[in-house]
Amino acid sequence: MSVTSLRGRMLEAFRGKVFLFMSVTGGIFIIFIFQLINLQFIQGSYYTTRARSNIEDNVPVPASRGEVYDRHFDIQSSSNKVIASNRPSFNITTVPAKFENKKQMAEIVQRVAVLLGVDSFELLREMDKANPWQRIVIKEDVSFDIVVSIASHEELYEHIMWEDAPVRVYNYGPVFSHVMGYIGSIDPGEYDKLKDQGYKYYQKIGKNGIEKQYDNFLRGTDGSVKRIVDVHNRTEGEELGDEPVSGNNLVLSLDYELQNVAYTAMQDKMGSVVAVKPSTGEILVLLSKPDFDPNLITSKNASDILASLQSDEQKPFLNRAIQSKYPPASTFKIITSIAALEDEKWQPDWRYFCSGHYILKGLQDRSYQCYKGQSHGNLDMIGAIGMSCNVYFYNLGYKIGPTSIINYAKYLCMDKVTGIDLPGEISGFVPSKQWKMKTFGQGWFDGDTINLAIGQGFTSITPVALCDLVSAIVNKGIVYKPHLVREVRSQDNATVIKRIEREKLFEIPLSARTIETVTSGMRFGVTNGTSARLNYLKVPIAAKTGTVQTRSVVKSDNTQHAWFVGFAPFGGSAEDSVVVVVMVEYGVAGAIAAVPVGEAVFSKMISMGYFNDTQK
Amino acid sequence: MIRRSDLAKFDLWLIVFVVILSLIGIFTIYSAGFDAVTKINNGMYKKQIISFVIGLVLMFGIMVINFRIIEQNCFYIYIGLLFIVILTSFLAPSIRGTRAWIDFGFFSIQPSEFMKIAAIVMLAKYLELRERDIQNFRELFVPAIITLVPVFFIMLQPDFGTAMIFIPVLFVMLFAAGADITHLVSVASIALIALLIPTYITHHEWLHAETYNPVISFFQKGSGVFILIAVLIFISAVFFAFRFIFAKKSYRRIYIPATVLSIGLVLAVILQRSLRDYQKNRILVYLNPDLDPKGAGYNVIQAKIAIGSGGFFGKGYLSGTQTQYGFLPEKTSDFVFPVIAEEWGFFGALVVILLMFGIIYQGLKIALEAKDKFSSLLAFGLSSLFLFHAIINVGMVIGLTPVTGIPLCFVSYGGTNLIMCMIAVGILLSIKMSKSS
Repeated sequence: MSVTSLRGRMLEAFRGKVFLFMSVTGGIFIIFIFQLINLQFIQGSYYTTRARSNIEDNVPVPASRGEVYDRHFDIQSSSNKVIASNRPSFNITTVPAKFENKKQMAEIVQRVAVLLGVDSFELLREMDKANPWQRIVIKEDVSFDIVVSIASHEELYEHIMWEDAPVRVYNYGPVFSHVMGYIGSIDPGEYDKLKDQGYKYYQKIGKNGIEKQYDNFLRGTDGSVKRIVDVHNRTEGEELGDEPVSGNNLVLSLDYELQNVAYTAMQDKMGSVVAVKPSTGEILVLLSKPDFDPNLITSKNASDILASLQSDEQKPFLNRAIQSKYPPASTFKIITSIAALEDEKWQPDWRYFCSGHYILKGLQDRSYQCYKGQSHGNLDMIGAIGMSCNVYFYNLGYKIGPTSIINYAKYLCMDKVTGIDLPGEISGFVPSKQWKMKTFGQGWFDGDTINLAIGQGFTSITPVALCDLVSAIVNKGIVYKPHLVREVRSQDNATVIKRIEREKLFEIPLSARTIETVTSGMRFGVTNGTSARLNYLKVPIAAKTGTVQTRSVVKSDNTQHAWFVGFAPFGGSAEDSVVVVVMVEYGVAGAIAAVPVGEAVFSKMISMGYFNDTQK
Repeated sequence: MIRRSDLAKFDLWLIVFVVILSLIGIFTIYSAGFDAVTKINNGMYKKQIISFVIGLVLMFGIMVINFRIIEQNCFYIYIGLLFIVILTSFLAPSIRGTRAWIDFGFFSIQPSEFMKIAAIVMLAKYLELRERDIQNFRELFVPAIITLVPVFFIMLQPDFGTAMIFIPVLFVMLFAAGADITHLVSVASIALIALLIPTYITHHEWLHAETYNPVISFFQKGSGVFILIAVLIFISAVFFAFRFIFAKKSYRRIYIPATVLSIGLVLAVILQRSLRDYQKNRILVYLNPDLDPKGAGYNVIQAKIAIGSGGFFGKGYLSGTQTQYGFLPEKTSDFVFPVIAEEWGFFGALVVILLMFGIIYQGLKIALEAKDKFSSLLAFGLSSLFLFHAIINVGMVIGLTPVTGIPLCFVSYGGTNLIMCMIAVGILLSIKMSKSS
């Protein structure tokens, strides 16, 4: 009996335990169901997104960069001068995070490096450093054949992708190198600054010149294609994402023909050429030598070429028209003349006698020479400007004093940037008494004054600023900001999105007498003086030359910089006028080195009909 | 042999659940078997169908033959299987680092799967024989040996997942057989202390290495912990002696916790100080798969993505992106549940869970209705075997329990596991039929 009851009790106990076990089982299954609800409903959209991102590979479709034309662009014409355009090509890319492990990555990268002829060691180092989910460009601008051979061996090139990537083409290579600048991969510093403006880490960005200045117009908006991929990144399908929006086109104020003539005329001289229409500020020619071919350096794989250009001691990347300043030399006599006449301390027909020497009285008399010590005889102001007589301007400078000259140099903005639409412009420099005291701990000497008067010594200006100086005279005291772009056009060129209007930079009230005297002096320089070489041209030119005493670091024999500044037509309407500035570094005496370049540009302008209204 | 009246006791529901779940498994294995690129099926589902058919034959065979044959020969079955498992552990070819398979050319068998049933039968038999003495702590020794010997050799293979499943089954069978709860809790506590302290320290060192934590500094620095252990051992020794000197059972309340704590601490200290850095990393990833999203954590992360993106009705059969494009690993075996949850959504996952619960429920009902202790314990043990497979497998793929390679019964690809499960169901059916004979 007791056995049965014991058995019964134990059976009861067993029942209780099984029920308990069953309840716990049920509880655990309910917890599982709750977790399923959590994963599939509460966090459902998160996991759906992650599942999508597993199979989606957003391949950017680069926007086509805007084209760039010269000033004679005509939408009807088929012979427009296209300075920059694009050519379809491919990039080979990869994403380091997609590889299963380092070993697989190294293997495949090595294989693809051999195929593409790039340095696999360098590439692996780059992949190690980068954010593993960023796409890395292995090689830019590869041929379709290479793409085909990668696509047809997916098993050998797992995780290696290709994408459309138009290549920038600069059709005239070095001729427009400093104007156009070039594009290159955005570097981490630039990316940090610009990512808020929609730039992506894999994009190309304008690095210099127009490409940089107008990047926002040129770049357009990248589109994308969604590739549906499996775990090995093999393509399962494609979905169209956003369409790329091409960049806008630019019509420059530059004239291809003139630029080309100037480029040819400069040969292998160092220096720069600038031509501006004073009535609008439009730049017709902007050239700097030595140059470079931007086509060679836009590719990521051209870093060697880029580095060697950057370390070249002739500084080919330097845009000498806006980034170099030189003593203005005799071209400064224009400012001294303006100061003397505007301050009414001098009359144009008042004369000085040039004996070839000027004696500066002092504790110890010092003698200053005219060019080669030759006498110019008795000169009025027109003659003095035309013959570029130093002795005349020593006397004049001494008479009117430094303050007046310095003031006019500043009124004419010789110490400011011109605001040209290119990055990296520097300003010229105009000294002052306070500056000299602060810098040298010395007062202003008379010797400083007479050096100032003829543009030697402390003053320095950029070629583009000299353009503005002469523009002020030609355009009756109003100077418009020099600019390179006339129009921003839509991708199909049908609509003008933005027209760059002339913008006044500064205005200086100049009397008609001052303008007439200075321009006549410059005209005299062509008819009788240092620029006589231009006298034969059918349109009257007025010009001034200048020679900067300097010491060469590159060449040993030629130790003078040569300036030429001229405008045409003399006596014509300001609307038609063009100012040309030529600077040749380390030439021999202004006239010899710089004048022929000016001559070539003016001659071409005449034959192209720039001054037809005047010629009639 | 089976009699006409027995047919009334035929557990139709259990058979229906098992067949439906197995068919779901076969269809899922078919779906998960496509290559992402070639779109060619790897044909695993065919092998699973063959295993299913063999399983059905064995299931009904055992139901008809009567499980008593197994009961009578349980010792020989156990010893024979153990011998095969040991041989396998040492002699079998290593497949993916594990010596668990005997290869017969066109099919291979994993003896450790059958060992699960053999051990449960042995445990049920022993616990029935020792029913009256099971409260005695010494009686726990033999069940422990029955379980831990195969566990040891399976660990050698090494097949951690398979080995692990024996332990909770042993515990709940001891519990059901009437073992002293104090004993079970004590043993479990020792294991918990020994495992949790090193885990906690590792986790803390990783999370806030700089901040001062009195518990950890007590454990890591100085001799504090050793003094504590010594004091605990002293206390337990004294009170253990008192218990016999004064014959007062109530001293158990003092010396048992003291002993449990001291042993647990000793093991914890040994474990903590012998952990290498890579082992610590494993523990961390074990607890938090997101720490190693490309390595150990990858599987669970992809499984959760598959499940979570399934929504209510799923992406459709053969249309799960995680499954079909190869992001989900081990999708036919351990990670088969996410395939269902992705392609059939919450609905499909719920059906599987409910079917699994139904099988366990039917098994436990059979355990309650069985006429003798052995049958009850056997039915209970087999049901718990299904349960622990389900808890560990589903818990892992939904991110609630650590990653351990264990299949989901009836659903996962794997002939031996499926056949083992069907045999277990055959035994259950047989128990139900023979209850009043």
